[in-house]
Amino acid sequence: MLVVQNVNTYIGRKQIITDASFKIHPGDIIGLIGPNGAGKTTLMKTILGLTKFDGQIQLNQVSVTENQHAALAQVGALIEHPAIYPFLTGQQNLALYAHDSAACQRLISELNMTTYIHDQAKGYSLGMKQKLGIAIALLNNPQLVILDEPMNGLDVEATIGVRQLIRQYAAQGTAFLISSHILSELQKVMTQVILINHGRIIVNQSTAEFERLHHQAYQLRTEDSQLTVESLAKNQIHYVLDGDTFQVNSENIFEIQDILTAQHVHLKELAPISSNFEQMVVHLLNQQRGDHHDN
Amino acid sequence: MAFSLYQEFYKLNHRKLTWLAPLVLLILMILTGLSIGYNESKLLMATCYNAPDWIMLILVVVGATTFSMEFQNNAILTLLYKSPNKALVYLSKYIVILVYNLWLHLLAMLFTLGLHTIPMNQSVSWSAIYLYQQPLWENMLKTVAVDVLTTTFIISLIFLLSCLINSNAVVISVSLLMVFMGQFVSANLLNAEKFTQILRWNPFNMTNLTRQYYNYTTYFDTSHLLNQQLLQGTLSYTLLFIVVGYLIFRKKRF
Repeated sequence: MLVVQNVNTYIGRKQIITDASFKIHPGDIIGLIGPNGAGKTTLMKTILGLTKFDGQIQLNQVSVTENQHAALAQVGALIEHPAIYPFLTGQQNLALYAHDSAACQRLISELNMTTYIHDQAKGYSLGMKQKLGIAIALLNNPQLVILDEPMNGLDVEATIGVRQLIRQYAAQGTAFLISSHILSELQKVMTQVILINHGRIIVNQSTAEFERLHHQAYQLRTEDSQLTVESLAKNQIHYVLDGDTFQVNSENIFEIQDILTAQHVHLKELAPISSNFEQMVVHLLNQQRGDHHDN
Repeated sequence: MAFSLYQEFYKLNHRKLTWLAPLVLLILMILTGLSIGYNESKLLMATCYNAPDWIMLILVVVGATTFSMEFQNNAILTLLYKSPNKALVYLSKYIVILVYNLWLHLLAMLFTLGLHTIPMNQSVSWSAIYLYQQPLWENMLKTVAVDVLTTTFIISLIFLLSCLINSNAVVISVSLLMVFMGQFVSANLLNAEKFTQILRWNPFNMTNLTRQYYNYTTYFDTSHLLNQQLLQGTLSYTLLFIVVGYLIFRKKRF
């Protein structure tokens, strides 16, 4: 559906995004993550044809350029701040973009906005504005929704509601590109992760693959610790021993199994040491910083 | 295009200022009628109780906030990506303000017809001959028509400034300065009597078009241009400001 190919984005003469390429398919929920200033918002703006860029962006085989947005007719977005006119009520703000008033009313109910939707938006709290911004993005059955920090200012109930709504729309084929600093929240909905740093995409994987590949360490217990120590040392495999539990690197686990099998040492336990999503991301970013310094 | 126009009309229609402005216009027209003198009925009727100046003031405020409200409410990004192209956003806004401009002028004429019936000033027939050997009703229609062109020129200037400056307070201030001080700047430039043949074509001079139409003898000495030349200058600058304003808008980063 959306194809981003070798995209470079510039603000003035400064290059913000370098050689970004990825695809989004119907029903995908892509988490766009990265540190502050990594280029997340710029990448989103670029997809919406709001920045100067080269490379190719196509939506359903129709190109998006800085001055041609016809392909974006079925795209909804919430970028930086919700686009709300304070002199209009919430309902009027939605009516400004809505093509189908019945669907608009349904969205108002689903986001629990009925109690204040007829009040002027200038009196809305941050969370109310944010929900209205999300509603505007979800209007008119979009094929692709781009949400920049959608959970900003939302309370727990609203966060759960928005999460459910995202899943519901995705099940019907709407694709999402969502950036958020609350990785734990993003982790609950996303099916694919794009990690961006210094304007470059450094990871573009399904969440399952990401978790599998980036678990940093495994713990190992065998029926013969002494023989295991000797075997690992002999094969120059790095480990840390704590009591009878070894901590080994994930990239060595297949080799270790082969060595121990050859030595007839049985495994009692080989399991990833639980590291959450945030730790994995931080580890990857640190690793990339290290690579940068090495270069 | 139709949906962009619908959005712009919807916003204009829901702003208090849009509906407050005709009331302000009426009050200012009444104040003009009261202050200008009992025997100046013909001038008041031909100029719609000085409505051109008051409409200009209203348009500066409404026009300046047309773009700046998008910047200040963070709505410009949504507006842009939802429109097929930037030209459509710019054009829709321009058309809506033009229609509002026409509506204000129509109201000014209706208010004039109403004010003429009350004994605020000396009663004069609409068929009485006044400017250019024409009846008063014709003077009023032509003054309004000329003023629509002058205010369209001012709108183009405001749009250009709005695309350069994001703050509506600054745009309003600069626009008011240019509109109401512009003629003095132009007059001072021309009073120096150097390069008059060139300087008389300065854009500030075009703000004199309406005033010169209903007061030729006084304003010709200020503008150094014939009515026809002022008209040509106004139309040319209008076109120039629209194009330059759009090019700035197109290049602007949000």
